[in-house]
Amino acid sequence: MYPSEFGYFKPSTLKEALDFLEKEDARPLAGGQSLIPMLKLRVISSKFLVDLNGLSSLSYVKDEGDKVRIGSMTKHADLVKGNVKESIPLLYDAARQVGDFQVRNMGTIGGSISNADPAADYPSVLTALDAKVILDSNHAKREVDAKDFFKGPFNPDIRKGEIVSEVVFPKLSGYTTKYVKVVRRAGDYAMVSLAMALKVKDGKVEDLRLAYSGVSDTPYRAREAEKLLVGKEISEENVREVAEMASSAVNPPSDVRGSSWYRREVMKVITMKALGGQP
Amino acid sequence: MVNPGEKVKVRVKINGVEYEENVSPRKLLVHFLRDLGFTGTKVGCDTSTCGACTVLLNGKSVKSCTVLAVQADGKEIITIEGIGDGKLHPLQEAFSDNFALQCGFCTPGMIMQAYSLLKENPTPSDEEIKDGMHGNICRCTGYQNIVKAIKEASKVRP
Amino acid sequence: MNYVGKPVKRINDKKFVAGKSQYVDDIQVSALHAGFVRSPYAHARIRSIDFSDALKTKGIVAVFTGKDLNPMLKGGPGPWVTYIDTKDWRYVPRNALAEEPRYVGDPVAIVLGIDRYSVADAIDKVNVDYEELPAVTKMEDALSEKVLVYKELGTNVGYRKNFTSGNIEEAFKGADKVIPVEAFNTRLIPSPMEPRGIVARYEGGSLTVWYSTQIPHFAREEFSKDFGIPSSRIRVIMPDVGGAFGSKAHFTSEDLAVVASSIKLGRAVRWTATRSEEMISSNARHNSFKGEVAVKNDGTLVGIRGDLLIDLGAYLTYTEGLQPAIIPLMVPGPYRVKNIHITSTAVYTNTPPITMYRGASRPEATFIIERIMSTVADELHMDDLELREKNLVRADEMPYKNPFGLTYDTGDYLSFMREAKEKLKYQEMKRWAEEERRKGRLVGIGTAFYLEISAFGPWEYGEVRVDEMGGVTVITGGTPHGQGTDTGIAQVVAEELQVDISKINVVWGDTQVVASGMGTYGSRTISIAGSAVKIASSQVLEKMKRVAARMLKADVEEVSYSSGEFTHRDGRKVSWDDVAREAYAGKDPGLYSSVTLEGDVTFPYGLHLAVVEIEDTGIAKVKEYRACDDIGKVINPALAEAQIHGGAMQGVGQALYEEAKIDENGQLGVSYAEYFVPTMVESPTYVSYFAENPFQSKYATGTKGVGEAALIVGPAAIVRAIEDAVGKRFNKTPIPPEEIYKAMLDRKS
Ligand SMILES: Cc1cc2nc3c(=O)[nH]c(=O)nc-3n(C[C@H](O)[C@H](O)[C@H](O)COP(=O)(O)OP(=O)(O)OC[C@H]3O[C@@H](n4cnc5c(N)ncnc54)[C@H](O)[C@@H]3O)c2cc1C
Ligand code: FES
Ligand code: FES
Repeated sequence: MYPSEFGYFKPSTLKEALDFLEKEDARPLAGGQSLIPMLKLRVISSKFLVDLNGLSSLSYVKDEGDKVRIGSMTKHADLVKGNVKESIPLLYDAARQVGDFQVRNMGTIGGSISNADPAADYPSVLTALDAKVILDSNHAKREVDAKDFFKGPFNPDIRKGEIVSEVVFPKLSGYTTKYVKVVRRAGDYAMVSLAMALKVKDGKVEDLRLAYSGVSDTPYRAREAEKLLVGKEISEENVREVAEMASSAVNPPSDVRGSSWYRREVMKVITMKALGGQP
Repeated sequence: MVNPGEKVKVRVKINGVEYEENVSPRKLLVHFLRDLGFTGTKVGCDTSTCGACTVLLNGKSVKSCTVLAVQADGKEIITIEGIGDGKLHPLQEAFSDNFALQCGFCTPGMIMQAYSLLKENPTPSDEEIKDGMHGNICRCTGYQNIVKAIKEASKVRP
Repeated sequence: MNYVGKPVKRINDKKFVAGKSQYVDDIQVSALHAGFVRSPYAHARIRSIDFSDALKTKGIVAVFTGKDLNPMLKGGPGPWVTYIDTKDWRYVPRNALAEEPRYVGDPVAIVLGIDRYSVADAIDKVNVDYEELPAVTKMEDALSEKVLVYKELGTNVGYRKNFTSGNIEEAFKGADKVIPVEAFNTRLIPSPMEPRGIVARYEGGSLTVWYSTQIPHFAREEFSKDFGIPSSRIRVIMPDVGGAFGSKAHFTSEDLAVVASSIKLGRAVRWTATRSEEMISSNARHNSFKGEVAVKNDGTLVGIRGDLLIDLGAYLTYTEGLQPAIIPLMVPGPYRVKNIHITSTAVYTNTPPITMYRGASRPEATFIIERIMSTVADELHMDDLELREKNLVRADEMPYKNPFGLTYDTGDYLSFMREAKEKLKYQEMKRWAEEERRKGRLVGIGTAFYLEISAFGPWEYGEVRVDEMGGVTVITGGTPHGQGTDTGIAQVVAEELQVDISKINVVWGDTQVVASGMGTYGSRTISIAGSAVKIASSQVLEKMKRVAARMLKADVEEVSYSSGEFTHRDGRKVSWDDVAREAYAGKDPGLYSSVTLEGDVTFPYGLHLAVVEIEDTGIAKVKEYRACDDIGKVINPALAEAQIHGGAMQGVGQALYEEAKIDENGQLGVSYAEYFVPTMVESPTYVSYFAENPFQSKYATGTKGVGEAALIVGPAAIVRAIEDAVGKRFNKTPIPPEEIYKAMLDRKS
C-alpha cells in the first residue's frame, strides 16, 4: 500500500515531457487512477513519474464537424459533463459508467486507453467507432487505428518516448448507439460490456458495429457477426444469429466476475437486447 | 525534477490554511493529510474502492489514497474538518439527524462525497444519489439512512 | 423524561460527523511502525530467514522472527473459555510468528521502522528460504486426513460431536416422506470498514494497549497470560472502533507480535492492517449441512438427521469454537421437531483462520432449518408459512425446552406470525409476484422465520455515578462500536433517573476505568449491560432519596422523586442538583453504584421478506427487504431499525455478492476488487416493523436484542425469493448470477 521510491518531474510543456520520457526510465502520470493503485501494490515500478497534469494543452474536446478531437488529459468527468453527449453519445454513455464519481474526477481518456485494460470501457468504444489514437514523440507524430492500438492486455502500441496526445473520433450520423455494461457490483470494471452502433435505413440495416470489453485480451470487434445483419431487416431470428456468432468467436477469460461460459452467454443476452430482440 | 529518494517541497492550502512541507514524491495525499493531523480522512482499502479517504482537491472530490501529495502542490484541499465553518455543515447535521452513521468510519468520506455531489447536482433523486455515491462503501448502515440524509441536506443547503 | 421507546438521537455523533473521531490509527503516539513478512505458501517450513538487507534499509530499527518472539509467550491464545469447552477440542495455541506457516499470509517476521513506507521497503528485502509442504485447502479434503495441517495433532479434525435427541430411527421409520436436504454457506469476510489495528507501549513494567477490539478486558487477560505481566499493570484501551461484527474479538499473531516487539524494544509499536491484511485476519462462515428430514403428509416435521461440516481455517481462533457447538443446538429453531441427530465436525485447513461474524452460528443454523422448511413446503406442495405455522412451538408450551435443552423464554410465535404476515403483506406480495411473472418480469418473493439466541451471559458490569454537579457518568462493560448502544444505555438511565439525557455521559472500553466487562457481541448489550446500569441507577436514586430526606428533615418514605425533583408529601421540594451537591457535603458522601449483573440468554424472533428481481443476464437484485421482529421491548426504534438495515445489507451480500475465494494454492482474494462488498447501488429499500405487543425478556430492560437478526435470517429469505423467481432450488450462499442464469436456461428448455 506504500509505493516504492520514485522520482518526479512535472513538465510545463509537451516538449519537456517528451524529452524526459525519451531519456529516462519514466512513466507518464495522467489521472493516476490505474497507475497509483499499481504502484501501491508494487506490481509495477518506475524510476520517474512524469506528471502530465501541468499540460493543460492536452485537455480539450474539439468538434470539427465530421470528427471530434479529444485531448488525452481530458478527464472522464469532463466527458460526462456533456460536451460529447451530442457529438459522441456512445463515449458519453461509457464515460458515465467508468468507475465512480471520484475516479471520474481524476482519470483521463488518455490514461485509460494507455493502460489497455481488457475490461476497461473506452477501448471497446474506440474500437466500435474506428477512432484513431494520436501519439507524439520528439521525433514524430503517429496515428494508430484503435483496432491496432490495443495489442494485448495492458499492452498498448506506445513506443519508448511516446505519449498519447489525442484521440480522434469520427462523428457518426444517423446511427443509434448503446453502451451496455454488465458488472458484478457498481463501480467495478465490466464483466462484459458492449459498445454498439447501428444504422438503419428504410427498415434495413446499413451498418452495424459491435465491440466488447471483458471478453478477450483486447477489445473484441465482432466483424463477422456485424456483417450478418447488413442489408437486412432486424428480426428475432437474425438478431439471435448475430449474438450466437459474436459470442462463439471468442474465448473469454474466467475470473471472479464470471466464467468463460457465462461471459459468452452474457454477450449473447446483451447483444440481443441491444438490437431490440428478446433473449 | 526530483530524484528517487529525494524530497520535494509541496505548498498546499488545507481548509483555508497554507502548509509547506517537504515530502517524498511517493507519499500519498491521504498519508500527507493524516500526518498533518487531519485524521478525519480515513484509509479503508488498498484498491481505491471504498471512498473513506475522499477529500476535495480544487473543489472536486477525489480519493486521496489515489493521489500523490506532490500532485496537490499549489492546490486547495478541503477535508471533513474543513466544511463546517465553525458549526456543523447541514450535511453533517443531516447525517446525525437521520441515523446515517453507525461506526462512523465511512462517514467523513461519505459526507465529503455527498458534499461534492450536491455541488454538482443540488437536488438529486434517490437514483442519482446512488449513482454519485457508489464509490463509498459503508458496512454498517445498509445505506438507506445515508440516502435520506443526503436528500434532507439537499433541501437545507446554505 | 420519557426516553425509552423513542427514536432519541445518537448522543455521540458529533465527533464522527465532524471528522474528530479517533480510531486506533488516528491516535497520535510516537511509535515504531510494524509490518509483516508473510508466507506465500499455504503450508511450509522455514529453513532460514535472512534479513540483513532489510535491516540496512533507511529507517528500519529491528526485524524479529518467530525464534525471537515465540519464546516470550507463555501459552498463546486458544479458544474463548468463557463459552467454549476446551475439552471438546484438539488445537495448538497460536504463536506470535509462524515457524511453520499454515496459510498464505501467515506472518513469519515482523519489521519495525520509523514509518510505513520504509517498513514496506524492508519487507521486500527479507529473504525467507521456505520448504514447501503439502497443504490442504478444502474442508472436504481435510476430512480424508491425507494431508495434515498439524502433524502434532495427528488429525485435521479439531472437533467432532454427536447431537442427538429423541428417537431418530423411529421418526424416520414412521415418516410419510423422507426428503434430502443440503445447505451450504461459502466463506465470507466480515470486513468492518476500519481495518484492525493495535498500538502497544511497554515501559517501566507496564503495558498500555490501544486496540481495535470488542473485548478489552479479555484482551487484558490474554496479554497478561501470554506475557506474564500482572493484569493490574496492563491497560487496554478501546478507542473508537470502526465496526467489528464479531471479527474483532480474537487475538491475531500480528497483535501478539506487536506486543512482544514493544516489550522487547521497550518502545511503543503500532500496526494498522491494510485492507488485504484485514481480509486475511478474519474469515467467516464456511459450513455445509447434508442430511434428510422426515415429515408427515400434513407437514409435521418429525425428524432431522445429517452431517454438519465446518471449516476452521489454519488455527483455532478465540471465537470459531462457538460455531460447531451452537449451530446444532439451534437447528430446531422455533419448531417443535424433537428427533434430531446431527454430527458436527470441524476441520483445520491451510486457509486463513475463521472467526465469528454477526450472528455466529445462528445464521448457519437458521439457513439450515429454513432451507429444510422451504424444501419441505415445495415437496409437500404447501405454502411456506402455512408449513411453518404447523410446526411452530405453541404459546402454551412456553417456556419451551428445545430438544437440546435450551429454554425459549417468552413468545407467541403463532400469533406473531399472523401479525407479521399482515404487516409484511405476505399474501399480497405473493400474488403480486405471480402476476408480474405472468407479465414477463422475473420477480420473486421469499420469506424466512428465525429464532435467535441472544444476550449471552454470564454477566455484565455497569456503574452509575452522580457527581457533585449532578452530572451522570455511566460506565459499562459493554463495548458499543457503531450500534449506538451508548445512546440506548443513556436512554435507559435517563428514564430511570428522570433526568435530561444531556446530563449523561456513557463511558466504556478502558480496563483502567471500567472495573470489569465482557463486551459487545451476540446482541447482548442493551439487555445485559443496559439492565446492569438500570439497576445501578435505581440504587443511586435510592441513596439520593435518602439524602433528600435528610435535607427535608423527613423520613425517606415521605419523599418521592420525579423529573429532577424530590418532593415531600407536604409539597416541599429539593432539586436533583441540590441533592447531588449535598450528597458530597454531608456524611456518607458519594453517589455511586456498581452492579455485576448475571444473566442468561433470551430468544427474539421474526419474519423477514425479500423481494428480488432478476435480469435476463441472471443478475439478481434485492429490491425490497421487509422485516418484522419481536425483539422484546424496543428502547430506540431508530437504532433498532438501523440494525435491521445494516444486517439486511450484509444478508444481501452473503446471499448474492460476497464470496471469499481461495485458489488451488491457497491464495485468498484479498481486495475489494475481488470481494464484492455491496455498495449503495446494490442496497434494497428496507421496511422494518416491531411486534406491537412484544414479549419481553427477563432482563430489567425487557429487551431481547436486535444486532444480528437480519443477517441471521436474511440469506434464507433472499435465497427463497430467488427460488420463487426462477423456480429452481438453491442450497448455497452466495448464488452468483451465473448459477441463476443456468437455472433460467434449464427452466426454459
Ligand atoms: C475504483 C476504480 C474503478 C475503476 N473502474 C473502471 C471502470 O469501470 N472502467 C474503466 O474503464 N476504468 C476503470 N478504472 C480505471 C480508470 O478509468 C483510470 O482512470 C484509467 O484506467 C487510467 O487513467 P488515468 O488517467 O487515471 O491514468 P494513469 O493511471 O495515470 O495511467 C495509466 C497508465 O497509462 C500510462 N499513461 C497515462 N497517460 C498516458 C499518455 N497520455 N500516454 C501514454 N501513456 C500514458 C501511465 O504511465 C500508466 O501506465 C477504475 C479505477 C479505479 C481506481
Ligand atoms: S482508502 Fe481510498 S478508496 Fe479506500
Ligand atoms: S457507519 Fe460503519 S462503515 Fe459506515
